[in-house]
Amino acid sequence: MSKICIADDDADIIGILKMMLQTRGHQVIATTNPTELLTMGSENPDLIILDLWMSGIDGRDILTSLRSQESTKHIPIVFMSANASLKEIAAEYNADDFIEKPFDMGFMLNKIQEVIARSK
Amino acid sequence: MQGTPEETYEALLARNEVLQLQLDEAESIIEAIRNGEVDALIVKKDNEPQIYSLKSADHTYRVFIEKMNDGAITLDRDGIIIYCNSSFSNMVNIPSEEMLGTSFLDIIPSAYAEEVNGLLQKGWNGDSKTEMIFPGKNNRNMPVMLSLSPLEIDGGQSLSIIITDLSFQKETQQQKKSLEQKDEFISIASHELKTPVTSIKGYIQLLRYTFKDIDDAKIEEMLVKADAQITKLMSLISELLDVKKIETGQLKYHEEDFDLCKLVKDMVAELENFTDSHTLSFKNDCPCMVHGDPNKIGQVISNLLENAIKYSPAHTPISVEVTAVNGEACCSVQDFGMGIPADQLSKIFERFYRVDGKVENTFSGLGLGLYISAEIIKKHRGKLSVDSEYGKGSVFQFRLPLI
Repeated sequence: MSKICIADDDADIIGILKMMLQTRGHQVIATTNPTELLTMGSENPDLIILDLWMSGIDGRDILTSLRSQESTKHIPIVFMSANASLKEIAAEYNADDFIEKPFDMGFMLNKIQEVIARSK
Repeated sequence: MQGTPEETYEALLARNEVLQLQLDEAESIIEAIRNGEVDALIVKKDNEPQIYSLKSADHTYRVFIEKMNDGAITLDRDGIIIYCNSSFSNMVNIPSEEMLGTSFLDIIPSAYAEEVNGLLQKGWNGDSKTEMIFPGKNNRNMPVMLSLSPLEIDGGQSLSIIITDLSFQKETQQQKKSLEQKDEFISIASHELKTPVTSIKGYIQLLRYTFKDIDDAKIEEMLVKADAQITKLMSLISELLDVKKIETGQLKYHEEDFDLCKLVKDMVAELENFTDSHTLSFKNDCPCMVHGDPNKIGQVISNLLENAIKYSPAHTPISVEVTAVNGEACCSVQDFGMGIPADQLSKIFERFYRVDGKVENTFSGLGLGLYISAEIIKKHRGKLSVDSEYGKGSVFQFRLPLI
């Protein structure tokens, strides 16, 4: 069981992931406002799933900020997007992994476990 | 010792005569140089003759300026054209003999007259440049760059102007911009089309999960079908985006060394799990190491297998084979289906081409799969080809260089 944080401007995606992950016993913190992630150091999630384009906010900037502050720099970050260059972007920003939209739920669950296991 | 005044006068006269001759000679040489009659001067210096070539040197520069692509003109103090090369005459479509003696401002589009006039004034004081539009041949507007420099010729002042045609440069800039716009379109379209699909797919999966406990086979079946349709929609979106990327050269390849045989074998095994309509068989002789993007090659294999299943009746076999021949890995997919009419065989790798026929038209698809596959194989320095007998079946085959 893990604590997973999701940031996406699409409330549908948040709802789907929240339901799916909660039924699998994970604790989920979800937000449509990714800037909230920068002040949640005390929550200390095991993983952050970060959408790339969030209505005016670039997930890459959020990643850079999270990696630069002491309280959050250890948290693994997975980029999630329908962007055609997601793989290249994830590599360029050294994200811990990436999940392409539309995702398969089984793939998503495996990826989450894999990244958390890798970070421990 | 001094001579008589008479003798001195005689001597001076003689010397004057010699000097006068030398002066006449010098003057006629200068005149000849001016008239272009002198090819070279031979001057004795330290008893070594030195040749100063005149006409040939001047000739070289004249031809150079006459033949260069840029237009070149020279104006006098009043802005009258005193020289123009043939390129400029071509640019403005006015014969040079008509242009000589007219004011430069008269051949400038009136909209630019004021600006060019100011530029000419500036040009007399030093080098200056500006861009403008010339009405060229066939009313085609020609973007040009004017470069002005003051010149001193024969003691008088003149102004040289080089006119560079910027059409090609502007066109290239335009093409680059349009490529960037296309690239941006792909990125945005990809995102916009996939985002709603993500939600639908997510909800369907949630529903399947929710209904699992109820154990209603009908609901489960409907949801599986809905999920399959979403997957189909996704692959259509991907195909369209791939075509856009191929057109703009943006399709990215992540190359590595891999065993083609293993890749094909794994894909056939995976597909067998999902297909109960056809029997797939796989045959190979040895590992075939190739260099390329295994995902993209996988996309080609998957396209060939799906086509074989799609266009052949249920319960017919599909045989897949990987061999190594003459330094090439060769993968073939054979079906015993409807085949392709001979007259359409050469067109099936074209973009958006779909085999035409009463039965053929009943199959869905955009006509992009084989086009994309052929492009991917081409990028891997290989070749995708087909052998087919109408009504009997087809063999699709691609070859890649072995490493």
